[in-house]
Amino acid sequence: MNRKLIFFLVSIAYLILISYGLYSVYTVEATLRAKKVPAIKPENKIGIAHTEIFGVLERPQIVFDHKKHDEALKKEGKKEGETCDTCHPLDKEKDIILFDFPKKVSKKDKASVMNAYHDECMNCHKKRSSENKKTGPVVCADCHKKELASTKISYPIFEFNFEYHDKHVKKLKEKLGKDDCSLCHHTYDIEEKDETLALVYEKGTEESCYYCHELDKKRGPELTAITRVAAKKGLSIRKASHQRCLNCHLEYKEEYIKKGEKEACPTECIKCHTGKYKTVAELSKVPRPARDQKDKPFINIKDAKLKGVTFDHKYHETTSKTCRSCHHETLKSCKECHDLTGKPEGNGINVARAYHDVFSEHSCEGCHNKKKSEKDCFGCHSNIAVMDMESVGPKKEACSICHSGEIKGPLSRPPLSVAKLDPEKVKKEVEVKILGKEYEPSKFPHLKMIEKLVKISNDSKLANYFHKDMQTLCEGCHHRSRAEAEVKKDTPPNCRNCHAITFNPQDLNKTTLLSAYHRQCLSCHEKMNLEKGRKCADCHKEKVGGPKEITDIKNENVVKQNKKAILNVWRPK
Amino acid sequence: MDRRTFLKIIGAGVAGATTGNLLTPGKSSAEESLSGKEFYGILVDTTRCIGCRRCEKACAEVNGLPIPDISEKTNEFILKNKRKTSDTQYTIINRYETEKGTIFVPKRCMHCNQPGCAAACLVKAMKKRPSGHVTWDLNCIGCRLCMISCPFDIPKFEYNKAMPRVQKCNLCWDRFNKGVLPGCVEACPTQALMFGSRRQILEEGKRRIAANPDKYIEHIYGEYEVGGTSHLYLSSVPFEQIGFRKDLGTVAYPEYSTGFLYAVPFIFVLWPIAMLGINRATKKSKEDEGHHEEKGKH
Repeated sequence: MNRKLIFFLVSIAYLILISYGLYSVYTVEATLRAKKVPAIKPENKIGIAHTEIFGVLERPQIVFDHKKHDEALKKEGKKEGETCDTCHPLDKEKDIILFDFPKKVSKKDKASVMNAYHDECMNCHKKRSSENKKTGPVVCADCHKKELASTKISYPIFEFNFEYHDKHVKKLKEKLGKDDCSLCHHTYDIEEKDETLALVYEKGTEESCYYCHELDKKRGPELTAITRVAAKKGLSIRKASHQRCLNCHLEYKEEYIKKGEKEACPTECIKCHTGKYKTVAELSKVPRPARDQKDKPFINIKDAKLKGVTFDHKYHETTSKTCRSCHHETLKSCKECHDLTGKPEGNGINVARAYHDVFSEHSCEGCHNKKKSEKDCFGCHSNIAVMDMESVGPKKEACSICHSGEIKGPLSRPPLSVAKLDPEKVKKEVEVKILGKEYEPSKFPHLKMIEKLVKISNDSKLANYFHKDMQTLCEGCHHRSRAEAEVKKDTPPNCRNCHAITFNPQDLNKTTLLSAYHRQCLSCHEKMNLEKGRKCADCHKEKVGGPKEITDIKNENVVKQNKKAILNVWRPK
Repeated sequence: MDRRTFLKIIGAGVAGATTGNLLTPGKSSAEESLSGKEFYGILVDTTRCIGCRRCEKACAEVNGLPIPDISEKTNEFILKNKRKTSDTQYTIINRYETEKGTIFVPKRCMHCNQPGCAAACLVKAMKKRPSGHVTWDLNCIGCRLCMISCPFDIPKFEYNKAMPRVQKCNLCWDRFNKGVLPGCVEACPTQALMFGSRRQILEEGKRRIAANPDKYIEHIYGEYEVGGTSHLYLSSVPFEQIGFRKDLGTVAYPEYSTGFLYAVPFIFVLWPIAMLGINRATKKSKEDEGHHEEKGKH
């Protein structure tokens, strides 16, 4: 009896053990999966991993708190700007701080980079601890923290904008009494053999930093030579801008703090890398720097077939954030690199393509096409094929909108208006009765829609210029109906003129009238993101004695039939 | 060698060759057997479908089924769930929320080029017609193998009836014979459904993809899936996001079993003969005969 009991108890204990084991096995995985990567705000911290050298890391990455180190040094009496050279090397010739760390790395391989970091960090920590000062860790896991292994610290990129540029120019003028751009802008004279003299400044040649310092972009032959030098010196856009901006900020920060402008000359990471960007509209009122550019250059290519184009440069300056969005490599005019046949400087792209390439980000047509896919425009323009140079037989009027020869006066058209429309021909309201059996006729506010389109067209400068007359707007819906023919026949351009009500088995893909209405209306309402006209009931009011009643009667009949003859089933021939 | 043995050898060779030819697995491609005729089908453009359910209603009217209420309120309520076809609904529309907005997908029988249901049917009640329609006939014995063999879960059984039938879309076979379009195609207000020969609709589908590469993904569902189907689908998002199976492969379902089925008679007829031959060949001389016989008895 006793023995039986022991057996029973042991087996119960065994069972419990097994179930506990199983439970723990399954829950371990679950907790691992549920464990979240701790989210860290950048907050002046820097993630040090150098995966480009180390590849897969043996130990977790280090999250380095830059501000903490900076403030620790400040507490010991060092002033703003004096703390930097504790860790960062000084360039004594130019009297600037190079924001590198560690100070010296003999070779760019795993061992030497690792040793350089360990030496510099830990030597300082050890030194301070021997001096009985507050100090940082010297044991591996105190820096290489396991819980921070998979956190990613990345700062939003700082974007150049003309508002900051304008501020800097004005402050500098206050200080010096005249414009001096040489503090930031320079060019590299590739012919000069003495490297110390190669960096020069010449008025009127100011360009964007990105042209020479953006190293991973493919450039033309002239600029490649310069970027190669920049690459050799390791001056990527990131390094070059930190070096230029921070050295200057450190120099003037004290001065501005004394003046009471605490926010001026930021040196902390998050003060510049805010992640907030201004829109083109916000920046449109900021004055653009003058660099002897013409307000309205007349672009005329010698020996070109079409007339020249008068280009409103001043207006287009305000439609993009930077000059680089069009002048992609230098601030020279387009025709210097792109000629009629295509030069190697222009990457073999001729001038016609440079202006008309539909898919380019820098061409006129590329940018205009992007605008056309905005919500106000896309209702009509989603159905209109993109017209580029290659499209067969572009209408002469279309080309002549830009290729109009030199225009001396203002480059804008009078706004369109609905006042001139003939109320006899252009109906105020159109009734569509195609689904008359089931629904009340759909009322279509024809004139109201024209008014809306006219307003959209007038509000946009691009649309105002290219929509020459009211006819252009009509073609958004009345596609393929030729204006001249319609006027002669004196019949309205109805949809049913082309779209048949019944299905044509000869032409399977021909859109029927019902389908034409639904697809034309719905696609436009969808593309323009309109709230109205997306649901059935917005256009179709249910008729009394309409679908629901018909349905009920029919349903009753079907049920009766089914009950009568179960066996009377459908059978194929 | 005398004349008798010579003839024997020749006869055996000829017999072997013919049986071998007959019994080796051959091609059973449906398209091949119907050469000269074209399958018909429907091209379903899911980017055009607006989810009005008029096709469901038209289908019900054409086939004498209970007519659904397709007013907007009901639609909103009904489309919340992902539905399947049933014995009273041969076609249904499902709504999917994707990154490219709401997409409505009509679901009905795909009318495979080599239908699994027709191959599985014991009495040929499910048939692939020369024009591509897969239809059901009254000689059905109710085994429901067609329902099991369908990769799209389409044929439905009338469980609630005394004399149950298997119900599914037949691509309006009787209307086709009269020269009228299928009910759903005729009713569609946006021409999301396009009826035509499979060659035509495939061409049209490819044309649409080529003309709007941004709008469509470069895949026509049904072009190769399960050996090709008569219903072809176009979509703006990957098909698994709008309720299509991507694991079906491009082999027609009947072809999985043909090899095995053809091998069965081969084994039953030729295997014993071969074994007998080997037995004879390896039989030892007369001295051991007695010993062998003794063993055989045990």
